[in-house]
Amino acid sequence: MGELEVDVAIIGAGVAGLSIARELSRYSVNVVVIERNVDVAQEMTSNNMGLVCQGADSLTFRPGSLHAELNIKSIPLWPKFAEELGVPFKRVGGLGLICHKADYLRFLKMYSRAFKSSLKPNAPYYIPEGSFKPLQFLDRRSLKDLEPNINPRIQGALYDPNLAVIDPVLLARSLAENAKANGVELLFGNEVKTIERKDTYFLVNTNETTVRASFVVNAAGINAESIAEMVGARNFSYVPVKGILTDFDEETSEVFSHQAFYLPRLGDPHIRAVVPIVYGGLRVGIHLDFVLRSDKNIPLQGLEHNLKVVKEVIPDYPFEKHVKRTFYGIMPLTNAEVGWHDFIVDIPEYVPKWVNVILGPAGVSSAPMLGKKVAELLMTSGLYLTPRTDFNPIVERGVKP
Amino acid sequence: MSLVPERITLDTALKIINAMIRFAKDNQVFPGSYAVVDEGGHVVAFERRDIAPVSTADIAIDKAWTAATMKASGRMLEVITRGEAWRLNVKHKGRLTIIPGAIPIIAHGRIIGGIGHSGGSAEEDLKISQAGWTAIFREEDFKEEVEEKLSKARLIARTVMNIVEERNLKPVSIAVLDEWGGLLLLYRMDGAPYGTLELARDKAWTAAAFRNFSEDAAKFYSNHVNNANWNERVTLVPGGVPFSTEETFRGAIGISGNEPEIDKGVAVEALKRLAIKVQE
Repeated sequence: MGELEVDVAIIGAGVAGLSIARELSRYSVNVVVIERNVDVAQEMTSNNMGLVCQGADSLTFRPGSLHAELNIKSIPLWPKFAEELGVPFKRVGGLGLICHKADYLRFLKMYSRAFKSSLKPNAPYYIPEGSFKPLQFLDRRSLKDLEPNINPRIQGALYDPNLAVIDPVLLARSLAENAKANGVELLFGNEVKTIERKDTYFLVNTNETTVRASFVVNAAGINAESIAEMVGARNFSYVPVKGILTDFDEETSEVFSHQAFYLPRLGDPHIRAVVPIVYGGLRVGIHLDFVLRSDKNIPLQGLEHNLKVVKEVIPDYPFEKHVKRTFYGIMPLTNAEVGWHDFIVDIPEYVPKWVNVILGPAGVSSAPMLGKKVAELLMTSGLYLTPRTDFNPIVERGVKP
Repeated sequence: MSLVPERITLDTALKIINAMIRFAKDNQVFPGSYAVVDEGGHVVAFERRDIAPVSTADIAIDKAWTAATMKASGRMLEVITRGEAWRLNVKHKGRLTIIPGAIPIIAHGRIIGGIGHSGGSAEEDLKISQAGWTAIFREEDFKEEVEEKLSKARLIARTVMNIVEERNLKPVSIAVLDEWGGLLLLYRMDGAPYGTLELARDKAWTAAAFRNFSEDAAKFYSNHVNNANWNERVTLVPGGVPFSTEETFRGAIGISGNEPEIDKGVAVEALKRLAIKVQE
């Protein structure tokens, strides 16, 4: 049992925890990342769509929510962020599929709201010129030119040329390597057992060591609730949502190359989207279900739903023969009873020097801004951050964890 | 196989209430009332903590009823009625309570019940109800220590349930009231019909209000039988038993579910086992 004394302890080595760690490594503070698994990105980060919301998606989030703020502010930061970290960032473009006139009207509403909320210079989250290509409506013929194999019954689409895909696991790995190279300590295989709250610091007891930290960032993903309860810092609730996704093999990239999604239907809670994988192939989903956090069961309905979705988009292709794997991911959904998901990044009222970070859907997309937001919060609660002169933002591969 | 409950049983409801109390303590919210209802809006478990205002009891129950029967949360109803929800209150004798803090319990893609909390601000009520709902997706069991009066009421209810199971009686509803007739606790055992809820509560109220066995309250107006309807809550049926400790009147319990005399016997036996004196 060793003891480690640090300024900031980050619990969780997912994309959230690591982007915070990398951001803090710009400053001269001691940071440690505590992770219960033996590698980065083992849970939520590895099991998602791999999308980076760059245009239509981000702009349709509820204006005024943290969800919208972090994602929209991340848009101009992404190209540089991905380049520094050496992560392939592929702008595939997104298609919001229009099947009825009602869909068109709904997209039109979102589109005009997007312009109101972000694209005018006096908007609260203004997106600078050049980092955003305008969206456009496609009719049936130009949609056919863009995607020859698409279902002919689809009448048109809202085309978003900005939407990108990424490998979130590689992103997390690069963040970890870059943070490590800049002096952040990573503790793998350390499961947090208890946390004691002392006058000016926290004692984080893991199964292997004890970390004495002045500040704690709780980025434990789906387990954030239990971690926060250890010190009475839980001021949020979320429902664990299991999403079931199906990957199709690389040959399917030849039949479809854009992200495509349907608007949600009344009475159908599942998401219907097709996303190209950055290395080739298609990822389709998502069958959603509220479950226990430990639920590892993959019901057959998940695969059936995903096959149905892909066949709705591309009818004449034997997708059954190209299934690669079906997997699940569990994400936290806040305000699920009304469906107004929002991120939680805040300091609880009664536990200062503690930051709760709950992301859930569109969490990866907010990574560049999240670190800055948390650094700002830590600064307001008393952490003294002086920029380091020797910070190297470029990732070097092969740093040992 | 999913372990998320298919319907609201008493155990699930108590887990939800304990999770809500836990959250309220963590966030230093003033003690309030906690209600969980089933799909039809009928109470499965209700608890009011000590020093919580008495009138929060019915607000919490009605919030939960609103969420379960309108199949939407109070916050959503506020938005879709554009803040004009009070107009709906000519219906249901003013029972619709469209205030944040009323949320439906959603599981398996449908609504299996409702949760209501009353006692904090609108935001606090909402957060506490959400904490209750999300507890059904957690494996760990919640056991919370509560204040003196409520913990005694819990003990009485637990003893009554043990006796009912020992004697192989039909499941019952149990109400525990404080000395002022304010509802402290209301449980409905799995399988008890919802009609027993109001009966148990009114028996207990009659016993508390007259400090007598509920059937003996008749002697207060023996020659004026017609006046027995002066208050619709008066229920002159055995099953309501007042109790006292240290020579002071403390409240009453009401039980309903079997024949009235059996209910009364269960209540008296439970008090005897806990060495609590029946108020004479």
